Amino acid sequence: MMVQSTKRESKLDLLKAESRQEIDLWVAKYPADQKQSAVMSALRIVQDQNGGYLNNDLMDAVAEYLEMPPIAVYEVASFYSMYELKPVGRHKICVCTNISCMLCASDEIVAYLESKLGIKLGETTKDGRITLKEVECLGACVDAPVAQIGNTYHEKLTPAKIDKILSSLD
Amino acid sequence: MTDTVNIEINGITLEVPRGSMLIEAADNAGITIPRFCYHKKLSVAANCRMCLVEVEKAPKPLPACATPVTDGMKVQTRSPMALEAQKSVMEFLLINHPLDCPICDQGGECELQDIAMGFGGDVSRFAEKKRVVREKNIGPLIATDMTRCIHCTRCVRFGQEIAGIREMGATGRGEHTEIGTYVEITVDSEMSGNVIDLCPVGALTSKPYRYSGRPWENQQHNSIAPHDCVGSNIVVETRRNQVMRVLPRENESINETWLSDRDRFSYTALNSEQRLTAPMIKQGNSWRTVDWETALAYAVEGLQRAKQVGGADKLGALCSSSATTEEMYLLQKLLRGLGSPNIDHRLRQIDFADQDVEPMFPWLGQSIVDLENLDAALLIGSNVRKDQPLVAHRLRKAALKGGKIMFVNALGYEFNFPVAEQLVASPIGMVKELAAVCKALTAMNGAQVPAELAALLSNVEPHDSHLTIAKHLATADNAAVLIGTQAMGQAELSVIRALANAVAQYSNAKLGYLSPGANSTGAYLSGCLPHRGPAGEKTAPGLHAQEMLNQAMTGMVLLQVEPEFDCADPMAAVKNLQAADFVVCLNAFVTDTMKSYADVLLPVSAFTETPGTYVNVEGLWQSFPAAVKPEAESRPAWKVLRVMGNLFKLSGFDYMSSEEVRDQCHNQASSIVAAARSEWHSGVKMPQAGQQMIRIGYLPIYAVDSLTRRAAPLQNTRDAVGIALHINSATLQTTKLGNEAQGMVTQQSAKATMPIVQNESIPDHCVMVATGVAGSEQLGISYGPVELSKS
Amino acid sequence: MNSIVRYFKGLMLLELIRGLRLTGRYLFSRKVTLQYPEDKTPISNRFRGLHALRRYPNGEERCIACKLCEAVCPALAITIESEMREDGTRRTTRYDIDLTKCIFCGYCEESCPVDSIVETHVFEYHGEERGDLYMTKEKLLAVGDKYEKQIAAARKQDSAYR
Repeated sequence: MMVQSTKRESKLDLLKAESRQEIDLWVAKYPADQKQSAVMSALRIVQDQNGGYLNNDLMDAVAEYLEMPPIAVYEVASFYSMYELKPVGRHKICVCTNISCMLCASDEIVAYLESKLGIKLGETTKDGRITLKEVECLGACVDAPVAQIGNTYHEKLTPAKIDKILSSLD
Repeated sequence: MTDTVNIEINGITLEVPRGSMLIEAADNAGITIPRFCYHKKLSVAANCRMCLVEVEKAPKPLPACATPVTDGMKVQTRSPMALEAQKSVMEFLLINHPLDCPICDQGGECELQDIAMGFGGDVSRFAEKKRVVREKNIGPLIATDMTRCIHCTRCVRFGQEIAGIREMGATGRGEHTEIGTYVEITVDSEMSGNVIDLCPVGALTSKPYRYSGRPWENQQHNSIAPHDCVGSNIVVETRRNQVMRVLPRENESINETWLSDRDRFSYTALNSEQRLTAPMIKQGNSWRTVDWETALAYAVEGLQRAKQVGGADKLGALCSSSATTEEMYLLQKLLRGLGSPNIDHRLRQIDFADQDVEPMFPWLGQSIVDLENLDAALLIGSNVRKDQPLVAHRLRKAALKGGKIMFVNALGYEFNFPVAEQLVASPIGMVKELAAVCKALTAMNGAQVPAELAALLSNVEPHDSHLTIAKHLATADNAAVLIGTQAMGQAELSVIRALANAVAQYSNAKLGYLSPGANSTGAYLSGCLPHRGPAGEKTAPGLHAQEMLNQAMTGMVLLQVEPEFDCADPMAAVKNLQAADFVVCLNAFVTDTMKSYADVLLPVSAFTETPGTYVNVEGLWQSFPAAVKPEAESRPAWKVLRVMGNLFKLSGFDYMSSEEVRDQCHNQASSIVAAARSEWHSGVKMPQAGQQMIRIGYLPIYAVDSLTRRAAPLQNTRDAVGIALHINSATLQTTKLGNEAQGMVTQQSAKATMPIVQNESIPDHCVMVATGVAGSEQLGISYGPVELSKS
Repeated sequence: MNSIVRYFKGLMLLELIRGLRLTGRYLFSRKVTLQYPEDKTPISNRFRGLHALRRYPNGEERCIACKLCEAVCPALAITIESEMREDGTRRTTRYDIDLTKCIFCGYCEESCPVDSIVETHVFEYHGEERGDLYMTKEKLLAVGDKYEKQIAAARKQDSAYR
């Protein structure tokens, strides 16, 4: 009963129509009673919709849409490093620092990026253009060192290559 | 394939059920395997790794909680490999665990402490910084110290699997994992206190008990929970004659290992400032504290005078449905000894039309365990989740197994399990809904119905939902119709009861009651009724509770009753008690209202201070001893009533112990055969809806008795509702209230102003104004017409 | 014959002289008795005398109401009640030691995780009224405040062996 309701206000409106359509495609891939399986895709879609990061309201909306307890969505979003829970820059440079990349001098890549952008790992440039992030293995060890920007992998990085990439970003 | 397999643990050959886990087999054989995340009532998580054991032919140690037994398995729980594994896990678990045992409430009953002593090493090699987790506030019942958490996730699984609302979870990753609610919300489950018991460390502890004691200094006393008809088994822990806390006592057939928050935290009211500590008498207009002898003599003399003035017919007694069976038995014996049959415990009941044909006692119709196996159940007028949380727990298990749990209610309640149907209608509408279900059933199986019932059903038309309910009930192998606690207060109770009987009959379902209070069953069996003596013996009918409170009696005895909160019509009750010549109050508490109508106040013991017996809704007699000595000058009510019997020079009041009283009552009552269902009886009329707005006097979970109402921690939860006028927006439009924030509710001469809450779960043309809560004492009948106006 | 020899030896007061020799030796040797109460014997750092509750240098009481001393006390001389103080810390609301029950075994001191309850070097105390030897939290804290220097010094000296 509502006098003691634990229900929160509906936040479904926060999901854009196109996001919903896209989520529905993912939901359709799983059995009807296991909508929650689409949570990772849904979070990614909503994160893209929101300019690269999630907030509590959006996570609540996803929970409501997929009929899951909100806490279950928070768990997923806080666990995986590809979900951002704070605002990020327009471009997110994810540099791998795991073993293969480290052996191929990812430390230097990080140092170069940091000095070039004037920010530390995990920070965003003041103009909101670029966020620098350290990530675990991106699965492209053959071409180490690697960084992911948007949906593109940039491999066999060198300072020169980085200059080129940075200048190509808007 | 047999159902059992043979395994060997530590060289002992065991025959264990196929499919069980190693840890279960070991537990049953009394072999200790250390564990944190495993709990027999929860799913297996296998994330603490403490239960690693050596299994022959397995290359690595295996977790006993997640390793199913197989034939011929040879297990070593104390081999060097197992011990080394356990020791290493212990060292890991202690890496981030703070060394604050001296200020931790879990100290002394901590699984981590115990297992670290038993299985851990003596030094840690971890010299780095320990992590710290921010403090969380998850409500007034549970204190958190999440730095101590070892991430066993028992609390998380409890929320998901038992409480049915997942409020806690494990967010973050690796060393940054935190157990909590992530956002700032309170944990609102009515069984949330169980996570305190589940937590193996001091991360979740009891807030009311915080820092007040140590487990080793407490004495344990077995007792029975005094708030609902389940009769949960509890342990009352005391220290130096003071109740420190209440814990569940395992009883698989009643409360399993759980306890509702109401039963767990109501003890906090025992030391309320309102405790009545000494007998008091009113002389002139002032109150005087006196000794027991004087007070009792005064009470007896007053009642005798009242009897002379108004005759025995004008003497009456009311008692709480949570009084002990002994108290009830003696109270009715006293009244009947004085020649008055006017005794009742059904304080919230309004409709008594069918009291002669109602069952001998409100029986559940089955055992509590059986509820788990229901294929279909129809609950009428029940917010079972809040009324009897542990019954709801059983129904939840049934629902998760695929059972169809359905409701006909006057308010749209939220449940923590899948509900197949919930019909929400006004109190009178509920009767029509029931009739429609009944009609759908009779149409379905072509049963011949009595003419009167046929006439009653002639005006209703079953819809899809009625047909669904009927179908679920009729096709289920194991179905039950249960009349809930909220329905017991409704003005149409007799019709509801008759129709529920009919529905049960035509669907071949069991009929059962979820009776109010802890001891309604005991009240019926001990004869605390105006129309039936002990053991259901028919007597010349006396006045029932409403009749007693709707006229000025000359003499009244109230046993643990606060009429302004416990009765159906507080306004009339208090007014008529004030007009009564002589009122004797036996109560653990005292209020100004009580002083306004009482002439003698006799302090009697709360449930922890008196021996007694509660008969639960299954008809199970559970006796308990006193855990502490009575507070100050208060005395167990059974002793007070016994002495009053002596002072009245009544025969048969020479009991030496409460056991004697119980045995006498039990011997008489044991002849009663439990039966909840009865045949159709004539005289049932369809109530007609009037034009007036109808009040739904919902009884909230923490307003049920004087103890719960004074339990501060419970009153700070979200479940404790304040007085408010709940109304749906469509109905609100039809009133003159407009967009006012406050509205005036009028019931004849009673008036009260309260905030308006728009609530779409209220049926049309009804308002919900709770009973039993502060503010409701200014109002009249809980289910009846009201008028609304601007304040 | 023997008796005659004894008779003459007796006449020569030999035993008396031997006795006086002992007395004379002690008369001129170094004295070990003290003129208590003007003079006092030295006391071990671990001496277990009157109890005290200590404070931290900032004035905060050390005791955190863990109740270990109460649990370990073999004479059941300690009674503690505790609750959450307003600032959320665990504190005692009552800390009583019945000195007439206490056997000065020092277990309370040993069990204390925060060095709060200690036994001082004070052993000259008395009660004039019934109840004077029932130490309450206030009295114990007062003892602690009064002898803090001495307590701290004793603990420092003994720290190497703890």
